[in-house]
Amino acid sequence: MENLPEKTRGKNGTKANYWLGGIALGFFGLGAFFLANGGGHPVTQQNIPLVDPKFIATTPWRETYADMVKANEDLSDYDCYGCHEKNNPPPIRYDANQKIIIPKEHSDIVMAHGAHDRNNLCYNCHNEQNLLTLQVRDGREIKFDNIPQLCGSCHGPTLRDWEAGAHGRTSGYWDRSLGGIQRLSCANCHNPHAPRIPTREPAPGPHPLRGPAPAPANPETAR
Amino acid sequence: MIQATRNYFLFLRRCGRIAFVGDWRYYAWMGLLTAICLFGLNAYCKQLVHGLIVTGMTDEVSWGVYIANFTFLVGVAAAAVMMVIPVYIYGNEDLHDLVIFGELLAVAAIIMCLAFVTVDLGRPDRFWHLIPGIGQFNFPASMLSWDVIVLNGYLLLNVYICGYLLYRRYQKKKPSKWFYYPFVFIAIVWAVSIHTVTAFLYVGLGGRPFWNSAIVGPRFLASAFTAGPALIILALQVVRRVTASAPAGVAVRLRSDVIAAPRQATLKDLDLLAHHLPELDTVSMEDRLASLHGATVLDVAAGDVLLRQGTTEDSAFFVLSGRVVVKREEGGRFRITRSAGPGEQFGEVSALAGTPRVATATAEKRSLVLRLPAASLRRLMQSHKMNEIVQSRMSERLMITDHGLLMLRSIVQVSMLINVFLLLNEVFKEFYSGNLHVASAKYLFIGLHGHYALVPWIWTAIGLNVIAMILLVLPLSRSLKWLNVACVLCIIGIWIEKGMGLVIPGFIPTPLGAIVDYRPSLNETLVCLGIWAFGLLLYTIFLRMAVPILQGRLSKANEGQEL
Amino acid sequence: MSRRNFLRGAVAVSGLTALAASLSPLLELSDFTNVDQFMQKYYKKMTPADMAKVLTRIEGEVQRQYGIRPHVRDYKPMDGVEFVYCLNLTRCIGCRKCVHACVAENNQSRNPEIQYIRVLKLPHGSLDVDKADHNYAPAAVPEPGFFYMPVQCQQCKNPPCVKVCPVHATWQETDGITVIDYSWCIGCRYCEAACPYFARRFNFADPQIPKDRLNPNMSYLGNRPRKRGVMEKCHFCIQRTRAGRYPACVEVCPVGARKFGNILDPESEVSYILREKRIFIQLKEEMGTSPRFFYYFDV
Repeated sequence: MENLPEKTRGKNGTKANYWLGGIALGFFGLGAFFLANGGGHPVTQQNIPLVDPKFIATTPWRETYADMVKANEDLSDYDCYGCHEKNNPPPIRYDANQKIIIPKEHSDIVMAHGAHDRNNLCYNCHNEQNLLTLQVRDGREIKFDNIPQLCGSCHGPTLRDWEAGAHGRTSGYWDRSLGGIQRLSCANCHNPHAPRIPTREPAPGPHPLRGPAPAPANPETAR
Repeated sequence: MIQATRNYFLFLRRCGRIAFVGDWRYYAWMGLLTAICLFGLNAYCKQLVHGLIVTGMTDEVSWGVYIANFTFLVGVAAAAVMMVIPVYIYGNEDLHDLVIFGELLAVAAIIMCLAFVTVDLGRPDRFWHLIPGIGQFNFPASMLSWDVIVLNGYLLLNVYICGYLLYRRYQKKKPSKWFYYPFVFIAIVWAVSIHTVTAFLYVGLGGRPFWNSAIVGPRFLASAFTAGPALIILALQVVRRVTASAPAGVAVRLRSDVIAAPRQATLKDLDLLAHHLPELDTVSMEDRLASLHGATVLDVAAGDVLLRQGTTEDSAFFVLSGRVVVKREEGGRFRITRSAGPGEQFGEVSALAGTPRVATATAEKRSLVLRLPAASLRRLMQSHKMNEIVQSRMSERLMITDHGLLMLRSIVQVSMLINVFLLLNEVFKEFYSGNLHVASAKYLFIGLHGHYALVPWIWTAIGLNVIAMILLVLPLSRSLKWLNVACVLCIIGIWIEKGMGLVIPGFIPTPLGAIVDYRPSLNETLVCLGIWAFGLLLYTIFLRMAVPILQGRLSKANEGQEL
Repeated sequence: MSRRNFLRGAVAVSGLTALAASLSPLLELSDFTNVDQFMQKYYKKMTPADMAKVLTRIEGEVQRQYGIRPHVRDYKPMDGVEFVYCLNLTRCIGCRKCVHACVAENNQSRNPEIQYIRVLKLPHGSLDVDKADHNYAPAAVPEPGFFYMPVQCQQCKNPPCVKVCPVHATWQETDGITVIDYSWCIGCRYCEAACPYFARRFNFADPQIPKDRLNPNMSYLGNRPRKRGVMEKCHFCIQRTRAGRYPACVEVCPVGARKFGNILDPESEVSYILREKRIFIQLKEEMGTSPRFFYYFDV
């Protein structure tokens, strides 16, 4: 008790003893508290549903004629002469606003190829002489399973990109020496009668580590 | 050699034992700190079990309060040693012993830094991957590898310097210049480097425009030299207070001012002194006889006053037997500055310099004391060895003078002015040109896209810093009360500024523009508090060992005595 | 013994008891590490025999945890190959199928959720990421007035993450992929701070992968399951690409916006794109990272 003031030396002994005793009890209590607490569960995990498998499926949006042939599917939809007469091209009718009138037998078709109804004539692509084939403007006949040549006759740059692999999905092996590839054809993604890609539901957005997912930014304030 | 090792271990054992001895305030303080440490340890164990998800960090804000505290404490560690400059380069004696307190603070701060970095690691068990040779140490490309080297080197430097100086004091031997001066100068340069390297951790990241700026390094140093010495100013006053024996004004029970009549000193008294002070044997007989002129011997009982602070008289004293305690009134309380046993001196400074007494000396127990007029002492000091020993022992006192504190104040003052100036620079650079890299600064100062979490923090910090700066500039802060207020404001302001104001905004918004707020979790906070408590615990233990050594009360001379 | 010493002893004993009790959560620390994992050598220092042992060990660990025996291989880079990725911003519709295909292929944690790819919705006319919306959830995409930019690891030629890693746990291989050795990473997250593209992810907790969605075709540097406390990121589906196949994101993209291949092969689609397209950009080019990821447009 070297540096202690003389006046408190007498009392200090007991006071320090009380404190020591209190501290010892405190530590035992602390130990009990820790044991009772155990590992604790300091984190509550949120509920993140598993993603719907449709969002990781690689199936193309549309099936082309070529796909149907390969899969041995029912091709009766493509049997034009089952209803139409040979050597009698079906007439195309327009209403007062120059909009094409779709016959009720083909009511599943929506014509929307080109802005301002530019491509309103069926025989721009379909071959009126032979409904089982398609035609290019310069008279060439195109088979239904070889449509890129038809589409590309107008959409040249896109055809060039597609042929090089820069347009449309390619799957399989980038290293062609190790395996083959599967190329998607135009009609796998584009409806020939309404080629613009329709909007679709997106997969869910990211979930943050904790807390609820933030709301999407308000488009008005999209700065 | 073996004896030297055994002596050293005895020294360590005594130091270790004294850490467990104290009064009720000491036990209460240490008990509280230990309890907080244990909470922190428990919280860290939970983090090991569950992963860092128990903290508030995310991929967006991947560093949080652990690294914020680390950054702040590296600054404190660096600044603690910078106090060394006035002492060793400008020869300012007032701060001499305080240097040790600064270095001990640096040791405690570095240990805290290493702890903060370790608790931040996802896989601390893989620390060995950092060891050069055994692991894969990415030096010199990675600034983290530089940081590992400089921090550990700095720790070793300071542990060595403090250990050496304290051990020499313990042995009552003068430290040999070659064993510590070079290291002290290395430590000064190294101190600047640890904080610059830590700054470069941030500055080197081109992908974080808030950090990728040349001003970050200088700001780090400026804020470090504000907060570090401020902490030391406060710590020194705490040391002064807890080693105070009694408030001044309360009569330290003195037996009487009237001491039994002194008698003339004789050669036999000098021989008795030489028994404890062998250097006296080198004094020539002629000088010895001359020194007896006017010399007296006093036989005093415990409590007798031998000299009083503030009075002027020209005698120096040597203790022949017993023990004399020298107390100094500082800040309204008495403090023991040294304790003189047989062969040791007191009162020599005022005698030789003619200045008023700086302390009061009272006998601790029944003692025989030789009193020499200044002329006698000078005669004895004609001997080279005697001169050397008296000179070296003159500095063996533990004085925490107000003057020393005011010198620290001026360091804090200038640093805070520079710190605020650099802040203004940064604000101008961010906001004037209107380019788009300003997002993080916006988030920090004015909020961004509806997120304002940090705005109150940074403005509080700026407010505290500015008020502290004004206080420090005004003569008002020469009074300790206001100086302490200013120091507290500095420390809090800079802690917020470096933590919330630097580390977190660097992450918000993310490099892809997302804003995710960060808030430390309870577990994370407990770990931080635990490490702070551990650092304070270490520092308290260091002081508990260092103060008695510096006062001369824990020394080789009193080995074997009950503490 | 004096009363004081007895009390000091009592405090010491009670203190040690409290210390032991505070460590009690560690009793639940079963699978953190074992001797083999702890002593595992650095990837580049392993001999093929070392690696074979490690792979067997990993297969055993995965089987114990998921009940499925995977096939873990250490794929080496092919010679004469440098991978480049091209993404067509005219075509991306923001459907996020790439995000989830990647998660499924690479055994990423579902909870906490880790996704290597982040799709940004940006307004027309701006590449300023501060204007990006990460959390768009409209009924249908794409939305008029906006375009979508998916961002993942850019496999930079000059990667800041490799520079800052203190233990060389991440490095760039000869085919251009920046890889992470999950068994070497110490989890300091300096790389995550350094990355300018928000590409790196940290395992804040033990990853949760549904057993029925585990991909058993694994690689050591790629999609083997990670543990908590280590970093991960896009690695160009190493288990696929080093076997010659396209990454999962390329395979699933419904509009074919993603293109991948060997830039050193003049016949590859990526060579065609970088040769023929007039406009292609690298994100944050001014950072000097020189990414191997190019965003291009249909001109």
